[in-house]
Amino acid sequence: MFDYVRNNRRIVQIFLALITLPFAFWGVESYIRNGGPGVDVASVGSARITQAELQQALREQQDRMRQQLGKDLPAGMLDNPEVRRAVLDNLVNQRVLSMHAAKTRLFVSDAQLGATIQSIAAFQEDGKFSRQRYDAYVASQNMNQAEFEQRLRQDISLQRTLAAVREAAVVPRAASDRWLAALQEEREVSELLVKPEQFAGQVKISAEAIKAYYDANQKSFETPEQLRAEYLVLSQDALQEQIPVSDEEINGAYRSQAERFQQKEERRASHILLLAGKDMTAEQIKAAQAKAEEIHKQLKKAPNDFAKLAKQYSQDPGSAEKGGDLDWFGHGMMVKPFEDAVFALKENQISEVVRSDFGFHIIKLTGIKAERAKPLQEVRAEIAEDLKRQGAAKKYAELAESFSNTVYEQSDSLKPAAEKFKLALQQGPWITKGGTAAGVFGNAKLNAALFSDDATKNKRNTEAIEVNPKTLVAARILEHKPAVLQPLEAVKSDIEKHLVREEALKLAQKAGEAYLEKLNKGEPVDLAWGAARSISQISAPGMAVDALRAVFGGNPAKLPVYAGVKLPEGGYALYRTTRIKPFAVAAQDNPRTKSLREQYERIQADEDFSAWLAAVRLAYPVEINKAALESKERQ
Amino acid sequence: MAVYDLEEQEQLDEIKTWWKQYGGQVTAAVVILALGVVGWQGWNWWQHDQAVQAATVYAAVERAASERDAKKAREAAGDLIDKFPRTAYSGMAAMISAKIQAESGDLKGAKLQLGWAADNAQDNAMRDLARLRLAAVLLDEKTYDEALKQVASDPSSPFAARYAELRGDIFSAQGKLEEAKTAYQTALTKIDEAQKAAGNDQRRGQYRDLIQVKLESLGGKSS
Repeated sequence: MFDYVRNNRRIVQIFLALITLPFAFWGVESYIRNGGPGVDVASVGSARITQAELQQALREQQDRMRQQLGKDLPAGMLDNPEVRRAVLDNLVNQRVLSMHAAKTRLFVSDAQLGATIQSIAAFQEDGKFSRQRYDAYVASQNMNQAEFEQRLRQDISLQRTLAAVREAAVVPRAASDRWLAALQEEREVSELLVKPEQFAGQVKISAEAIKAYYDANQKSFETPEQLRAEYLVLSQDALQEQIPVSDEEINGAYRSQAERFQQKEERRASHILLLAGKDMTAEQIKAAQAKAEEIHKQLKKAPNDFAKLAKQYSQDPGSAEKGGDLDWFGHGMMVKPFEDAVFALKENQISEVVRSDFGFHIIKLTGIKAERAKPLQEVRAEIAEDLKRQGAAKKYAELAESFSNTVYEQSDSLKPAAEKFKLALQQGPWITKGGTAAGVFGNAKLNAALFSDDATKNKRNTEAIEVNPKTLVAARILEHKPAVLQPLEAVKSDIEKHLVREEALKLAQKAGEAYLEKLNKGEPVDLAWGAARSISQISAPGMAVDALRAVFGGNPAKLPVYAGVKLPEGGYALYRTTRIKPFAVAAQDNPRTKSLREQYERIQADEDFSAWLAAVRLAYPVEINKAALESKERQ
Repeated sequence: MAVYDLEEQEQLDEIKTWWKQYGGQVTAAVVILALGVVGWQGWNWWQHDQAVQAATVYAAVERAASERDAKKAREAAGDLIDKFPRTAYSGMAAMISAKIQAESGDLKGAKLQLGWAADNAQDNAMRDLARLRLAAVLLDEKTYDEALKQVASDPSSPFAARYAELRGDIFSAQGKLEEAKTAYQTALTKIDEAQKAAGNDQRRGQYRDLIQVKLESLGGKSS
């Protein structure tokens, strides 16, 4: 080896020089970046989207859906290929936008970021930026400051792009006018339904046809596969009950978290306010000050009249009625000059006239609650609960993996796991394949695992499945009823009804089409038309989209004009239009037209943005790893 | 040991002769490489510096836009276009400013800025978008032939439906109903193609419906 190095020194030197070069110019990371396991769901140009990122985005989306549509959404609605696809698409778009922003150097400077943070109302106190509020908000989002600011940068950058690409859309008025006129044009229309029931009597179904249908559709005549299972639940909540907490531990926690149980000093004060805000003129302010001085003088003579004078003169509507009382407050809750004055007073003392952004105050301190530590007795339960929760979380984390291993390794019984983890073996109700159920069996993953061959045929335990956060369930089958085909006799009449209906539907549609042809030729047809009513494309109660298209799709030269449409359930519908009342767009929009025009402009602007985004995406090849996208979550 | 030294000496000589022969070329190569790297870094630095400066002016455009101040927006955007034409900000500023100009009735100003962006914006997508908006302003101005000229050429594929739809709008404003129908029909086809490519075969969506309504208002049937 070293001989080789010695004899070929030059080659080695050149080689060394070559591998040093990239370090010199690009740093070490150019070697590391491409590492990592191949679990990416997609790549966008040179960036990747990992399985973990997708799961995180999916969870956020699910939370949003639960918030909007209620808690008990079926699992299938929360996680299905379409949802995953949409969530991933969204992530890809975000990635493309941020890469595009970086490439075109549309970054957000620290100064801009700072200005934005300062201007967000949620971070302000008394109209000024408050560091405390900001920190509290960031913490409440489960982020650290760097993460939050990174996200905010992305938001600002996106807003900026939207302003130029979407909000600045130019929508020609001539085009929106045409659309508005078409939507609000009214047509007088009568309807006639050709219903399948009218033809049911004409349909004869042979025994052979029934048999043939039965043979061809056996799957749908099976009673569903059912089973009953026993199961174990390992959950953090249940563990919490079992965690013992000793007095020493509580005492220890009380001492070590002394600051948390410290109650800050609070004071109670009354005030008389004479308004002198920034929007007032110099004379008005002077007058207010003079008035305040005068009241202050009166109070000096008769300090006990404070409440009476407050009622009479104070311009703070909230407190004047109560004799100026503001109730208890701590540091940081009042404007600065006011707070300084209050905390400098002695009990029952009255301040000089104090100036704040609101105006002139005269303050009387009416009570002091000194800083004190809450006694152990008061917070004992709270501490015990905390300790139990912490203990349970730790214990759950310890046990979860070993629980999963135990039910997997000893897969022919749940008893060993029940004994080892001191869990009660419970019995579940009958459940059906793919069906819904209450409690843990409502979980789609558990259902799928129980109805898998491994559980039904090989009689194994299911793996431990996380049915809820911090709740693992393992189950095994007690009884199993496979799917059974019902005999022909039992379902014969159902099949017959179904076939009659299908046949009648066809006849009705055929008849409807024949009527329409005759009507269009101008031949007389005796039909019981419904009453004529006036409809427009935006106001046609009870009409299907297809019917609406049929009625409005066309600009007839002469009336009446006929249209027909197949209804998937109800047969055939015929429409006779007898009058058309065009809509003239006025120079000044009425409220409905105005809101429709806004809708038009919004759709156009959205479309500008999606076309632009799609065009930008062309520059960043997107590859989606279908297998990783469809794989069930296993982190 | 001596043998070893001798061997080293030989190799040293060898390197010296090699250096005499190729030293100049190697030095030249290293210098060129170094210059290249320095030049590249310098170019990056310059672009970054331009972007930082442009961002400040851009903030002024945004401010003017939020205050609906057409004059200020026009001036700030003009400033940006003059001084930093090669940044992405210039195209975006032109868009924002043009919208404000158009809203305040200054179609000429809007046309100027969109026209600049349609020819000079930094990325393709932005140029296609600017051209579409330029045609929209021209349509509002009733200079139909000029408007048609803008959207006659083929844009990048995602804009195809937008361009076809606007052609339909222009033709129908001109009263050329047959041409308008064909254009709207093209737009619908493009939308369907794009949806199909994305694995969605539903032929629905607000935008599609909107074009369909316009098509049908001309007496055209569509599927």
